[in-house]
Amino acid sequence: MSIEVQNIIKTFGAFTALQDVSFQAPTGELVALLGPSGSGKTTLLRIIAGLEVADQGTVLFHGEDATDRSVRDRQVGFVFQHYALFQHMTVFENIAFGLRVRPRTLRPSARDIRTRVSALLQLVQLDWLADRYPAQLSGGQRQRVALARALAVQPKVLLLDEPFGALDAKVRKELRRWLRRLHDEMHITSVFVTHDQEEALEVADRVVIMDKGRIEQIGTPEEVYEHPATPFVYHFLGNVNLFHGHIHAGQARLGEFEIEVPEYADAQDIPAVGYVRPYDIVVERHRNGTPAIEALVSHIQRIGPLVHLELTRGDTGDLIEVELSKERYWDMQIAPGERVFLTPRQLKVFVHDH
Amino acid sequence: MAADVHTPAGSTERRTALQDPWLVRWSLIIAAVGVVGVLVIVPVINVFYEALARGAGTYIQNLLVDPDTRHAIVLTLTVAPVAVVLNVVFGMAAAWAIARYQFPGRTIVITLIDLPFSVSPVVAGLIFVLLFGLQGYFGPWLHAHHLKIIFATPGLILVTAFVTCPFVARELILVMQAVGTEEEIAALSLGANGWQLFWRVTVPNMRWGLLYGVILCNARAMGEFGAVYVVSGHIAGKTDTMPLRVEKLWQEYNLPGAFALASLLTLLALVTLLVKVGLERKMHGDAAKALQSTSAELLLDARSPLKESA
Repeated sequence: MSIEVQNIIKTFGAFTALQDVSFQAPTGELVALLGPSGSGKTTLLRIIAGLEVADQGTVLFHGEDATDRSVRDRQVGFVFQHYALFQHMTVFENIAFGLRVRPRTLRPSARDIRTRVSALLQLVQLDWLADRYPAQLSGGQRQRVALARALAVQPKVLLLDEPFGALDAKVRKELRRWLRRLHDEMHITSVFVTHDQEEALEVADRVVIMDKGRIEQIGTPEEVYEHPATPFVYHFLGNVNLFHGHIHAGQARLGEFEIEVPEYADAQDIPAVGYVRPYDIVVERHRNGTPAIEALVSHIQRIGPLVHLELTRGDTGDLIEVELSKERYWDMQIAPGERVFLTPRQLKVFVHDH
Repeated sequence: MAADVHTPAGSTERRTALQDPWLVRWSLIIAAVGVVGVLVIVPVINVFYEALARGAGTYIQNLLVDPDTRHAIVLTLTVAPVAVVLNVVFGMAAAWAIARYQFPGRTIVITLIDLPFSVSPVVAGLIFVLLFGLQGYFGPWLHAHHLKIIFATPGLILVTAFVTCPFVARELILVMQAVGTEEEIAALSLGANGWQLFWRVTVPNMRWGLLYGVILCNARAMGEFGAVYVVSGHIAGKTDTMPLRVEKLWQEYNLPGAFALASLLTLLALVTLLVKVGLERKMHGDAAKALQSTSAELLLDARSPLKESA
């Protein structure tokens, strides 16, 4: 079942949590809502679930308007950040809860319930813990019980609120791969909220990046990482270097460089910033005719497959980060304190809006 | 552990360095034990001693032969449970409202719930006489409809409920605030209706707090004297509860009778205390057990990390 959100607006008092947000999660996709805290992503998820009411806008499930349906009638599976397991029930009873509270005519028989809960326990690989209480489980186990409990009612969509936020790094990584595999098996339309870029990019089919109650960009992990649509996305997904300058009549002048920016053909000398990823900068020992920035190497960090250089620009004194392959680094023999010349390989210019 | 048993010289010094001088230590211990002994243990033992001084047969006779005493026992065992039930209903409603909703006057309500603790029970009794007595605001109307509250069982129940109302409510407010609403929202999203949510999630979550509140409330309800004194009118065989009956027997110089009934009242209090201690043990035991098996579980997990991702 697909999910569609149209023009959602939500305010809490004077604070605007969501300003005119729209997006789609096609059937069977795993979508990540990614953003810093306060970006409105959890509020949006709760509005989709029916746990929160939007001031304006519509929520469509499979093309049908579900805005006025209560959380009970939306048939969503919701997984909470802090699990929200029923403390006084065993793992088995927790998972069986959604089946036991059904109206008598729709309730499966006791045997069917046992079969279904056992199957779910196997799916989340916890069948050996059926008689334990939540307090006796580790965080990762609790989250998997919560997931099994949400799946027990055969929801049409699965919504997860920072599902791995309360877990430590190692368990997190294991569990998110496991979630991806589970999703590939079940093909249930899922939306999960996270503030962890790595998590979103690794797990999701599609990433919705949010900031300050607005959607900044929607796309596949590759699209949003390789072609950020806004300065925010550049900053949020990985490191970036800024080159300040001006745009005039379709021509951006950033210090020594000049770049064609046809989309700003009418611009009259407006401030602009060029964004460059650390691995998109070429380092040379000597000027070779192309415009380049002079910089001093201030620090070298050689851990891992890449070498990280920290440099200080000769003209402005700004800090620049560069990533080099080990081979290139050994070829060049750079040492701290040396002078080098930098040329951006790929650069994107945005009008300065700060 | 072993080091603690064979204490080396160094650690003895350290221990004395961390502790108060022996004079302070022992005078505090003696003061605490002495006060409890003189003010609590000796009087309690004395009650039973005086009650049983003339033998068990006389004791039973003192309790059961006098019809007014018998009635007082029955009356207390009626008034206290009814007051407790009223307070459970009120306590749940109040705790729900305070823990779940924001409304104007919420802080005032929280403060006012404690009022019966700080107001003198006699004043509490007078308030109800002023409201429901023949000269009170509702008195003439009640009289016209042949309803009797003051000098009757309803009045006793009302003042007892008033005096003991903070016990359940306070306990439940704390529990409900601590538990939060997440489990309830989870139940909703799983399709539970309001009734199922309340009985299957909310009530089980507050069961210990509720039981604890009920026990304290019941103990206080059975022993209440001042407020009940004002509204009962001391009609022997009609509105005398156990504490009132004890006082009356005492005034009539029927000391064996007074002590017999007093000992029964004390016994009820001691039973309540035992139940309370048992309950506290159980609560702590549950928590400790959960903690123990959690660490065992984590150990197991650490040893076989592949079990989960296999």
